[in-house]
Amino acid sequence: MSRNSIKILQGALVCEESKLRGDITIGTGTIIHPSATILAEAGPIIIGDCCLIEEQVKIIHRLPFDQQDKENTPVLIIGSHNVFEVDCHVEAPKIGNYNVFESKSFVGNKVTVTNGCIIGAGCKVTQEQILKENVIIYGHDCHMREGLDRPGLQTLQMETLSKMLPNYHHIRKPNKKN
Amino acid sequence: MAHVVGPEVVKYACTCGLLKSISSLYFCRYCCQLRCGFCVCHEVDSHFCGKCCENLPSSEARLKKNRCGNCYICPSCQQELSTRIGSKGPSNPEDPKSTPKKMYYLSCLYCRWSSRDVGIPDQSAATGGWPDRENVNANRLQEIIEMYKAMVLAEKQQKEKDKKKQRGKYLSYTDRTGVTAAALRKRIGLPVDIQHSLLKAKPKEPEPAIAKEDVEDLPEELLTKPVNLTEVTTIEQRLLQIDLQPTTVEKLFPVHKQLSIKRSLRCRSCEHNVSKPEYNPNSVKFKIQLFAYYHVPEIRIVTVEPLRAGRPSELIIKFTNPTQHQTTITILSLVLSGDESEVKEETGDQPSLPQEKQPPSLSSQPSSLLSLSSRQPSITIKPRPVSQEVNADVAIPSSKVILPPRDDAAEYDDSGDTHNIQDDPKLVVWRKSNKAFVKLLVTPKQGLALNSEIVAGFTMQHIYTNTIATTVENREPDKHDHNIRVFLTLGNLVGFD
Repeated sequence: MSRNSIKILQGALVCEESKLRGDITIGTGTIIHPSATILAEAGPIIIGDCCLIEEQVKIIHRLPFDQQDKENTPVLIIGSHNVFEVDCHVEAPKIGNYNVFESKSFVGNKVTVTNGCIIGAGCKVTQEQILKENVIIYGHDCHMREGLDRPGLQTLQMETLSKMLPNYHHIRKPNKKN
Repeated sequence: MAHVVGPEVVKYACTCGLLKSISSLYFCRYCCQLRCGFCVCHEVDSHFCGKCCENLPSSEARLKKNRCGNCYICPSCQQELSTRIGSKGPSNPEDPKSTPKKMYYLSCLYCRWSSRDVGIPDQSAATGGWPDRENVNANRLQEIIEMYKAMVLAEKQQKEKDKKKQRGKYLSYTDRTGVTAAALRKRIGLPVDIQHSLLKAKPKEPEPAIAKEDVEDLPEELLTKPVNLTEVTTIEQRLLQIDLQPTTVEKLFPVHKQLSIKRSLRCRSCEHNVSKPEYNPNSVKFKIQLFAYYHVPEIRIVTVEPLRAGRPSELIIKFTNPTQHQTTITILSLVLSGDESEVKEETGDQPSLPQEKQPPSLSSQPSSLLSLSSRQPSITIKPRPVSQEVNADVAIPSSKVILPPRDDAAEYDDSGDTHNIQDDPKLVVWRKSNKAFVKLLVTPKQGLALNSEIVAGFTMQHIYTNTIATTVENREPDKHDHNIRVFLTLGNLVGFD
C-alpha cells in the first residue's frame, strides 16, 4: 500500500475524522465532513476549489478490472464547486466542475462526469458513457433530462459550515502553502 | 404491519367468496358478516388537495375539474412544484430606499425542472399569480358543448310533452260539447299549441366542420436528423396536457394538481356505514371504523413442521382476541360451498332457517337484531363458493379455546394472568392475556407433486358479542356464533411419506 500523502491547501477545511488514504491534494475552500472516505488506490486524487464533501461520502479511485495491469497511474482530477451529498458513492475516473451528486447516488467507474451534471438521489449510473453537460439524472429508472444551466452554488451553506465546523470537530492543519 | 407489506399467508373468506387477509376486510356489525372491498359501496365523502390540505365542496370541485386552484405539478415528473424565491429583482430605481422586490418561480425538487426552463416569467405574488394557458380551441369546444346541452334539453321537453299528451286524464270541461280552446283557435286560424316564448329558442347550430384533404408534407429532417431524446417529450408528459400535447420539452407547462377524495364505505346488504373518515384532510382517524382486525380474532402462523405427503405435521397458530369481551373459539371442518349454515347443521347448534324468503345474509343473525336493521337490502347478494383448492386435511380438535378479552392495562399490571382457564394441554400450547397458541395436525394429501404449495383450511367459529345498543329490557349485550372460513398457505411440500 502506498504511503499516505495528503496535501491540504490554505483555506481548506478537512475534519480529522475523515478517512483519507493515498496521494490526495485538496484545494482551497473545500470542506470535507467527518466520516467521508477518499481512497486513492489506483493513483493520486486532486480535488479542486470550493468542493463540498459531506458525511459518509465514498470517493474511490480504483481501476476497473480489465485495466488492472497497466503501467501508468491515472490521476483523478475532481474540478471545483462540486457537491457530494451524504452517502454518495463515486468511482468515476474523471469529474468536472459544478456537479452535484445527490444523496445515496452511485456512479460507476466507467462513467465520465463533465460539468454541471446533477445525479439525483438514489440513482445508480453504471453504464459506460460520457455524461453531457448540464444533464439531470433523476428517478428510479435514471431518467435523463437536459437542464438549461449548471446548478446553483452552495455558497451560503459553505460559509455557515466554515464557521460552525471548527467549533465541533478537530480540523487537520493545512500543510501546503499555495 | 406484516399484513401490509408481507406475503398473504393467512386469508379469510369473505361472504362474496374472495379470499383476503384480515387487514383488507371489514366487519358489518348489523349483519354480523365479513365484508371485503367488493361487498361494500364506495362513496365519495369529501374532496381535498393533498398539498395544501384544504377541503373543497363538491360543487366547486366539479367546477374546477377536480383540480386544486393553487397547487401545481411538474410537467416533467408529475411531482409537486414548490414556490421558491428567485433572484431579488432590482430595487426601484426611482426610490433608492425601497427594499428589493422578491420574485417567485416554481421549482420541482425531484427532477429540478423550474418554470424558468420554459420561459414563464417570475411572479411577484407568492400564490395565485401564475398565468393559465388558454386553450386554442376553447371557443369551438364551448359552442359544441352548448349545442349538445340544448339538444338534451329539447329532448327532455319533448318527452315530457309526450307524457302529458298520453295521460290525457284531465279533460277540459268543454270537451264533450266540442268547444275546446284548441278547436276554437283552429277555427279562428291561430296556431293550436301555445308555445311559451322562452322555450322557443332553438339551439344555435355551430358551423359544421369542414374536411380538408391537403396535409403538410413530411419534413425530410425527420428521416435524416438524429433524434435528441432530451428534447422530445415522453407520452406521459404529452398526455398530461391533452389540449396542447407538446412534442418538445420547451412547451411543457405546469398543470394544476388533482384533488384527492376521502371515501366512506357502506355495506351493500344493510346500507350501514362500515368505514367513515374524518373531514379534516390532515387527520388519518375515522369516525366509524368497523375493520375486521378489531372485531374478529386474528390468526397468525407461528411454526409449521416441514410438510410431507400423507404424514401429519404439526402446525402452531396464534389466536388473538381483539375485542373487549371474552370469546370462545371452536375449530370446525371447512365447507367450500356458499352457504355457511351447512356447517351449523353438522354441529347441531341451530335448526336451519328457511331461506327462500329471507335474504340469505340475515340467516345467521339473531332475532333481536332483525328489528335493528330496519332497512331492507336493495340487492340481496347470495354468498358465492370459494374457488381455492385445499390440498391438506386439518385434524379437527374436539375441545374449544377460550380467549379472555383484550386488556390494555395488562402490561402495567403486575398481578399476572389470573384467568384460571382449564386448557387441553394438547390443544393450547401457550397462553398470555388475550393470545393463545393452538397446535393442530395437518396432513397433506397423497399424490401431490414435490414443491407444490400446500393450502389448509378450516372454519373458525367464535362468539361475537354485539355492542350495538339493544332495547331497554335487554341490558346484556347479545352473543352469537360467527363462522369464518380461514385458509392458510403453509409452504411447499418437502417430501413423501
